[in-house]
Amino acid sequence: MMEREIHISPQDLLQAMQFRPGDFANIAIVSGQPQRVNMALEKLKNPVKNFSAFGYTFWTGEYKGKRVTVGNGGMYAPDAALITELLCVGGVDYLIRLGSCGALKSEIKLGELVLAESALRGDGVTKYYVNNDGFIPQADKSLTDTLEAICKKHIYRGKVWTTDALLRETKEVINNVIRQGGIAVDMVTSPFLTISQLYNKKAIALLVVSDNLITGEIGFSNIKVFDAERRMIGYAFNLVGAIDA
Amino acid sequence: MKVLFLQPPMGGWVTWGKHIAINVNHAQLAANLREWYPEINIQVLDCRALGMDENQMIDAIKGIQPDLVYMGDALQTTGVAAIHPRYQAAAKLVKQTMPEVKICVGGFFYGANAPEMLAKTPEFDFVLYGETERTLPELAKELSKKDPDIPSVKGLSYRDNGEVKTTDYRPLIENLDDLPLPAYDLFPMDKYIGFNYLRHYVETYHSRGCPNGCRFCVGWTNYDPRGNRDWTHYRIRSGKRVAEEIELLVKKFGVKFVCMMDEDFNVYRSRIEEFIEEMKRRGLKVPFFFMGRSPYHLRDKDLLKPLREIGFVCGLFGMEAVDKETLEKVKKGISVDQIAETVRLFRENNIMSVVTWMVGFPDDDEVKIKDRTERIDKIDPDMTALQIMTPLPGIPMYKELEPYTEDWDLRKWDFQHAVLRTKYLSKEDLGRLAAWANREFYSQPGRVQRILYNKKYHPFCRLIARSYVETTDAHARAAVNDEIFV
Ligand code: SF4
Repeated sequence: MMEREIHISPQDLLQAMQFRPGDFANIAIVSGQPQRVNMALEKLKNPVKNFSAFGYTFWTGEYKGKRVTVGNGGMYAPDAALITELLCVGGVDYLIRLGSCGALKSEIKLGELVLAESALRGDGVTKYYVNNDGFIPQADKSLTDTLEAICKKHIYRGKVWTTDALLRETKEVINNVIRQGGIAVDMVTSPFLTISQLYNKKAIALLVVSDNLITGEIGFSNIKVFDAERRMIGYAFNLVGAIDA
Repeated sequence: MKVLFLQPPMGGWVTWGKHIAINVNHAQLAANLREWYPEINIQVLDCRALGMDENQMIDAIKGIQPDLVYMGDALQTTGVAAIHPRYQAAAKLVKQTMPEVKICVGGFFYGANAPEMLAKTPEFDFVLYGETERTLPELAKELSKKDPDIPSVKGLSYRDNGEVKTTDYRPLIENLDDLPLPAYDLFPMDKYIGFNYLRHYVETYHSRGCPNGCRFCVGWTNYDPRGNRDWTHYRIRSGKRVAEEIELLVKKFGVKFVCMMDEDFNVYRSRIEEFIEEMKRRGLKVPFFFMGRSPYHLRDKDLLKPLREIGFVCGLFGMEAVDKETLEKVKKGISVDQIAETVRLFRENNIMSVVTWMVGFPDDDEVKIKDRTERIDKIDPDMTALQIMTPLPGIPMYKELEPYTEDWDLRKWDFQHAVLRTKYLSKEDLGRLAAWANREFYSQPGRVQRILYNKKYHPFCRLIARSYVETTDAHARAAVNDEIFV
C-alpha cells in the first residue's frame, strides 16, 4: 500500500523543473493553443523561458513595465488542472485564460467572444479538488468587468459548461446545460476557475467562439476565429495594463 | 470596322476569391491594333468587371454593333481551359442575336489547338493558332477589306465552305519592346480587384515563354505546335520598358499593386538589374508580385534586397513535386533544397513566398501525395498554390496523360478539380487528397497566424494570404464535390 500522503505535489513538480520562487510573474496569460502563446510572446520584452516540460512551455517577460508570464496551459480539463495548479503554487496571483468555446445561443456568432462568469462542472477532474456537486467556481468579478469594458462589443458574459467528452455533446446533455443557464461549452474553464479559486487567486477566462451548437456551425479554421484570437490577445494585454499589481 | 474585345460574365479560381483582373491579352492586342491600324474602331466590354449578366452583355453588344468580337486570354490564371465553355456560351448568344458578327478566339489553350477547337465549336469563326499579337490585328485589317483574303493571314484556323482550314505558321515576335504598351486607357481600371481585397489592382505581362519548358506546363498551349518549341523561346520587355509601364500604371491609373504575370520574370539577371535601376531612377516604389524560378533567385540572391526596396513583396516559384524521379520526368530542373533555400532567403528579406506544387502525376498514390505534403510542410513557405494536374492538349505530357483522363467537362479543367485518375488513385480519391493537402497546409494554426498577421510582410500580401485561408472550404467543394467556380 502507498504510505506517502501524495505521490507528487505541485511543489515536487516545480522543483523537478529547477523552478525558483519569483520565476513566474504575478500575472499570467494562459492559452491552450501553443500558437496563441507565440502571438502573446511577441508582445513581451526580454522574455525568459521558465520551463518547457511535458509539452508545456512558459516564458516570463515585460509588458509596459509589468512582468507577465505567458504559456500554454492545457487544452483539456486534466492538463489544465495540472498547469493551473503549478501556476498558483508558483506565485501567480492573476490568471487570464484565453481559450475557445462552442456557443449555446444562436445569436452568438463565430469569432465573437464569451467571458466566463462561472463554470458548470461537467469535467471529471474537479471532483478530486472539491467534494461538493453544488460547487460553482466563479471568475473574478472585477477583472471580468474590466475586461468586458476593454472588449466593448461582440462579447457575451455567462456560465460556461466544461465537458470532457467533445463527441458526446448530445441534445439531451446540451439542453440540460442550457436549462442551467449555460451560454457556452468548453473543455477547460471548470478546473481553471476551480483551482484558481481554491488557491484564492483572481482568474478570468476569455473564450473565442469557434462553433455554435444551436446553429450547427463549425469554424475551427474559420478566418473570423483566427482574427478573433488575435484580438483576444490584444485585449488580454490591455487587461494586464489595467491590473493594479 | 469595329472590333470588340469581350470578356463575358464568368467567375474565377476558387482560391483567389473575388478576383477580377484586366485581360492582359486584350489590353495588348487593343494597343497593337490602335497603333498599327488606327482606322479600326476598338471597343472593350469587360462584363466581369462591370458585373453584367448575359442579358446585359447582349444588350451592350447590340448597342456597340461590332463586326468582329474577340475573346481570349494569355494567362492560365483566368481559369485554365474552363474559360472555353464561357467563351462558347457567349459566342452562341452573340450569334443568336447578331449572326453576321464574326467571332474569333485565341491565346491560352486555343494557341496550340486552333483547328481542333474550331472544328468542335461551330459558334467560332476564327481560332488563332499560336501567338495572337500580330494575327488578330492583321485579321481585323483583312476583314475590313471588301474582299478579305483570309488564307493570307498567318497563324489562324478558319472555315472555308464548312471545312476547317489552317493558314501558315506565324513566326514569333522577337523583341517585345517593339510592341506598344498595353492600352490600359480603354479598360475600366477602377473596377479591377485582386484576391477579394486588393483595389487598384492590375495584372501585367512583360515577357513571353519560359526557357525551362517543363513537360506539364500549360504555357505551351499558347503556341502553335508547328513552331520550334516556341514556348521555350523566351522573349522580354526590357527592364527599362517594364519600369516605364509601371510608372504609367501608378501615375496615370493610380495602381497600388502590380501582379506581374510573366510565367518566368527572372530568367535574365541583367534584366532584373536594369529594372531595379530604372525603378530607382524614376523614384518608383509600388508593391509588386512576380513569378520566377528558384534557381534564378539563388543565382541573384544579392538582388532580393534591392528588389524588396522597390516593392517586391511577394514572389511565386514552382516546386511541383519532391521526389527526384518525378522532377526529372517532368523536366522541372530544380531540387527541393533549392526551394527550401529560396523560401529562407525570401523570409530573410521579408518577401512572402508562394510555392506551387501539383498532384495527379500518373505515378501518384496516396503515400506519394502525403509525402509531398509533408515535405512542403517542412519547407514551410508562407503560401502554397496547389494545382491538380490538368491534361491540356498541347502540353508535352498530353499523350501520357490522355489515357487517365476521365472527365471531359471543360468547366472543371481549371487545376482545382480532379479530371483524371492516376495509376493508383481514382479521380475521386485524387480530388479528396488535393482537398486534404490544401486544408492541411492552410489550417496549421501557427502558419496561419504568421501569414495573416506578420507585420514584416506587406499588408497586401497578408490580404492575399487571407483569400487563400478563407477559400479552403470552397477549394474542397471544387476538388471533392465538383462545384464550378470559373
Ligand atoms: S518553369 Fe514554370 S513557367 Fe517555366 S516551363 Fe516550368 S512550369 Fe512552366
